[in-house]
Amino acid sequence: MNITGMRHGAKLLDIVGFPRSEVLGPEASDQEIKGLIERCGEVFVKPIFKGGVGKKGKSGLLGRAKDLSGAMKEKERLYFAEHFHNNTLSKAEGVTFEGAVPAACEVYFSITDNTEFRAPTITITHHGGVDIEELPPEKITSIPFDPLTGLKGFVISNALKRLGAPSELISPLVQNLPKLWDLYHNYGMTTLELNPIRMMPNKKGRLVPVACDFKCGFDDDDPNVARLGLPADLDTSSYSDFEQEVNSLRTYQGQSDVFVINEAGTISAMTFGGGANALVTELLGDAATISSDFGGNPPYAKMHDISRIVYKYWLKQTNVLFIIGGKANNTDIYETFRAMADALRDHFNTHGPQPLYVVVGRGGPNLIRGMGYMQDTLDSLGLPYQMFGFDSAMSEVVNFAQAADEWMKNGGREIVAKKMGIVE
Amino acid sequence: MHPQGVAAFPHYYVGINSLTELATKDDRVCVLNITGGESRTVTPVSHVYSGGNIVCGTAPGRSGSKMKTSAGNIPVYDNVAEAVDDGQEFNVVVVYLPPSGVRDGVLEAVRVNPNLTKIVILTEKVPVRDARIIRAIGQMHGIDIFGGNCLGLADAHNHVRIGGALGGSAPEESLLPGSVAIYSNSGNFTTTIAVYLATGGWGTTVSFSSGKDVYIHYAAQEWTHAFHNDDRSKSAVMYIEPGGYYEHDLEFDKPVVACIVGRWKAKLTKACGHAGAIAGTGDNANAKEEWFMEKFGVDAIFTPENPVCSEKGAVVVNISHIPEAMTAVMAKRGAKPDFDSVGDLSLKCWFSNAQGIDLPDHLNPPVVEAMSPYDVQIDGLGEQVGTVMPRQTMKDASGASMMDPKTQVTKIHGTSVLDASTHSFEENLVQSLIREYPDENGAALANVALNTFVNQSGKVGLAAADASRKAGNSPNTALSAAVAMVGPKLVEQARTVTSALVELFKKSGLEDPSDVGFDFSAQLEAADASVFLTDYSGRCNVAMLEAIENRNAKSVFIDFLKALEQKGGGKLSCSVLVAAITTHLAWRALMRKRLSITTVSNMPWHFRVFSTLIGSAASAENQERHSFCGVANKELMSSWSFTETAHLALLGNRPNEEALYAFSVLLGLIITNGPGTISAQGAKGAVSADGPEVPERIQVNKGYIGFLTHTGYAHGGNGFEAIAFLLDRFRDSGLSSPGDSDHGMDLAAMATDYAKEYKAYKTKAKAVGNLSYAKIPCVNHPVFKGEDVNYDPREVFVNDLFKERGSYNVFHEFYHELVNALFKTGVSRNVYCVNVDAVIAVILLKMLWQPYANGEISDSTMESAAFTTFLFGRMIGSAAEIDDHTNRGRNMDTRTPASRCSYVS
Repeated sequence: MNITGMRHGAKLLDIVGFPRSEVLGPEASDQEIKGLIERCGEVFVKPIFKGGVGKKGKSGLLGRAKDLSGAMKEKERLYFAEHFHNNTLSKAEGVTFEGAVPAACEVYFSITDNTEFRAPTITITHHGGVDIEELPPEKITSIPFDPLTGLKGFVISNALKRLGAPSELISPLVQNLPKLWDLYHNYGMTTLELNPIRMMPNKKGRLVPVACDFKCGFDDDDPNVARLGLPADLDTSSYSDFEQEVNSLRTYQGQSDVFVINEAGTISAMTFGGGANALVTELLGDAATISSDFGGNPPYAKMHDISRIVYKYWLKQTNVLFIIGGKANNTDIYETFRAMADALRDHFNTHGPQPLYVVVGRGGPNLIRGMGYMQDTLDSLGLPYQMFGFDSAMSEVVNFAQAADEWMKNGGREIVAKKMGIVE
Repeated sequence: MHPQGVAAFPHYYVGINSLTELATKDDRVCVLNITGGESRTVTPVSHVYSGGNIVCGTAPGRSGSKMKTSAGNIPVYDNVAEAVDDGQEFNVVVVYLPPSGVRDGVLEAVRVNPNLTKIVILTEKVPVRDARIIRAIGQMHGIDIFGGNCLGLADAHNHVRIGGALGGSAPEESLLPGSVAIYSNSGNFTTTIAVYLATGGWGTTVSFSSGKDVYIHYAAQEWTHAFHNDDRSKSAVMYIEPGGYYEHDLEFDKPVVACIVGRWKAKLTKACGHAGAIAGTGDNANAKEEWFMEKFGVDAIFTPENPVCSEKGAVVVNISHIPEAMTAVMAKRGAKPDFDSVGDLSLKCWFSNAQGIDLPDHLNPPVVEAMSPYDVQIDGLGEQVGTVMPRQTMKDASGASMMDPKTQVTKIHGTSVLDASTHSFEENLVQSLIREYPDENGAALANVALNTFVNQSGKVGLAAADASRKAGNSPNTALSAAVAMVGPKLVEQARTVTSALVELFKKSGLEDPSDVGFDFSAQLEAADASVFLTDYSGRCNVAMLEAIENRNAKSVFIDFLKALEQKGGGKLSCSVLVAAITTHLAWRALMRKRLSITTVSNMPWHFRVFSTLIGSAASAENQERHSFCGVANKELMSSWSFTETAHLALLGNRPNEEALYAFSVLLGLIITNGPGTISAQGAKGAVSADGPEVPERIQVNKGYIGFLTHTGYAHGGNGFEAIAFLLDRFRDSGLSSPGDSDHGMDLAAMATDYAKEYKAYKTKAKAVGNLSYAKIPCVNHPVFKGEDVNYDPREVFVNDLFKERGSYNVFHEFYHELVNALFKTGVSRNVYCVNVDAVIAVILLKMLWQPYANGEISDSTMESAAFTTFLFGRMIGSAAEIDDHTNRGRNMDTRTPASRCSYVS
């Protein structure tokens, strides 16, 4: 789950007392917006996207206004704005009004778990407010630190010294940035980025860091995220009903990861193992309805539930039900095949039979018992099938499934339907 | 500061200098959560493969127990400290704990054992937050950590496997000693790559599954260093997924084939599969391909068509190309494979059926003989009749029933009790055993079989039941006396006949036993008549065959037996005919391997118990040799459904259509509430104690006694509390027909009056400090509450069923008025639901009202009838649990370990 923007970011920053810009949500009244403009001189109007959406400014999705009518115009323009980024189209659901913060300079700051250092690492520059990828290396630095002691002021101080940051920046940042470690470490984050932090002079002329934008990513496996009490639908825009239903089965025994590839796909692959998932999905391309990983030895009941949901959403349009994995180390093939077969039978019982071609490639404990069970079920349902041993190249089995799909598309589906005595 | 490890890594600690040190004969292992689901199957295999390298394991509450393996038993402790205190010495900890326990488990192991050098974390979905801390702890104490979400380490030369299940349940099959080291982000592909390499003649040194979490604690750089220092490893395969910069700065002194996968993952916006395999722009699959191509000095991906490689290595994107790429790279260095190819990677179809469709040639590959030992197993499949379910501890678990905690609706063999309630009693009885509903022909046969043995006249069991009733026992106690008489000897012949029929017909090609055109002449020839025929001299068999004919029921097995009898040598008995019917009912599911042979052979026994339990519910005075409750045995067999017979046994008459429907619904609703219910626990405990691992010795009838002894007055399902409550409301109402909506009573006013009365009672009770004041039965529910108006979906379902039929029930309507009145008078803060137990009570009371109002039955008879009805319905669910536990359970598996029991003084 990801969050971008100050609508929720402001609440999270408040937890640790990190200064931030004033923010109003889409429900703000005219009076409130007017008051904000009076206090800050100017407001930024930003569309609210669910999940992690970047590069909004570059796409012209940042409005600014110095009076109410200007703010309302920008609101109208951006309220349902669309944004294409990272291969994904996002649609705005409202706007925020964020008070402008006068500042001498802008700071970029992030914490993430860096795979080079294998430790939590800060990245910081006082040349912020821009795409940091565009900065020359000497203007930005990344420093790992010990998670047992946490992010301490000296880490910030050393980093800023290394960058040659103006001395008036150092003290306020050393005082405030370590607060973000509490937010990061104790609430299940995997990335936290504030860009820009605007260094605003206070009444005494001393600089105060004010967060003006917010991004973070959460660890789906960390129960501490729940402590934030974030709305359940915060980042559901990218989850289909199918994905959400399967995700509800998420437990530590057995994977249940799914991703919808093509809603008009015709091969539904029940894939076992992260490796098989990568290979199969890559080779199937857009012919696939879903990408899945059901490895990790799921128990019968879980596998039955997963299969039931997959069939419910995808079987009707499917030409080829494709069960594929390598030679399992620990996943019990009998249990998983029995669950998939029973769920298929149940699906046919409740939804009626349908033409389907079944292709299987698998290895692992209790393989032959599992294949035998699948064979008996498919025979009783009257479905054509081929099952391949694990000593067949997995890519060849994928090719076979694709060939079966082609045949089904070109009249095969009708032939199978006729043989089964059903009219589609 | 971290301790100094391998000098090549000055900035952080690494202890392994060579892959020879990764998994050694000297490593001694302690497995955390050794009895967990995954470890239970994996650890014994590792222990045996490695020559007994696991010294102990931990599992809270299991101290003193042992994990049995063929290489000796592994002692289990509550925790690591206890193991260390007991003198166990180990340098490796393998972690199978659930994700929330991993960090603390690691911290504890490090704290109490200063000799640790390696920790292998198998657990998936360890929070990143905990991984951070684990990494830091490992660094501080100078411990190499492997994983999380890895599959462990294996050394084919040392014959040692530590941690996960590399090589699966038969490591020798995949881990062939050779010269290639494997580093893989995927656990499954670690083994698969080893298998693929063997097809090119390459064996392995060390196989290492790194895991693919955000933190890979022992990662590519450390592994590469150790690879260089391992003289056995002449080359390596690295299987790399997108995400992370672990491989960016690698430099190789030895040849490597790198398999980079996951280009498509660039499209993903969230992790699918491995948590760490989500990439930015700089660490996606394309970027990683480029890293490795630059290292190897190649300008393209290796494919069989375009075999681009150098002496340094090759990049592939398909694991099937690994063996060929390895051979090509090594050939450039003048090296040959380790051994002759073991098989090849061509398509090998092991099972195929076009179902009579004329498939194009490319979709109709020949079925080839599988590699050993799978060829023998496939041959064995042809011999095996029915399924064999894996045995496991079935305490509080069931493969027959399951309650959905959200809807509170229980399913039996995948059918919700709501749907089951629309089926007849006999259909549900059959479904409880064969896991699917019989067709019309099957139901007709079942009715004959069940009605044949319902008359208990002259049976010692009926005398025992009557004596028990006279002694004041409850209906379940009395019926268990009768069921106790249905012992194994009584059904011995039927079970033998069942086995013989299965043996005769299993390879006959018989699919539909209703297909009376089936040619059984070969079976007739082969049959041993003495198994099927006896010197039976009664007339029951004739009546039974007539009944089958009267119902126009068809069965190959019945026809076969008749033909056998015609050949001479004896007569058919009713037991034999019942066995033929139960075999008929089970046949299709048995042939599809949905049932076990144990289930089929026990079915006549279950049927005999069904008949006995229903028959013994009527007292001896209502039974004569040729008639049951006034109805001739022949008539029951020929034209009564078993639902009607059950109604007759209970209420003394044949129900009309509406009463029959209501009775069926009622019985269906109370079939089961899942394996946690006390009745199921009784049945399962009885099976467990007999030892289901030798299924032949399970006393099926004792299973039913277990169910019966575990039912009682307090069972909500028997509806008696609600009946007593309703009787108090309606006793003096003058109500004559509860099914007539024109009853003339103001139910709303009655409900309001009672609600006020109850409110006053409750206020008074609370005022005097009595918090255990009487609650109104069957309203409100712990799950279906909290809304302004609440509904129990099960009650709604049944209410709609009856409404659709235009069936009225004054008691049910009163309950609806009551929950509204309770709200209006302020007794409840919202409108309670009427729960499903009320439904049971109102249906029963409606059935019994007229004889009660006429003074024909007393309150105690009413109680007895309600209780017995509950037993009839719950018998269905119990049958399913008894059979399921017999097939899946382990000996004594329902007991609770002493450590989980508590003493209360």
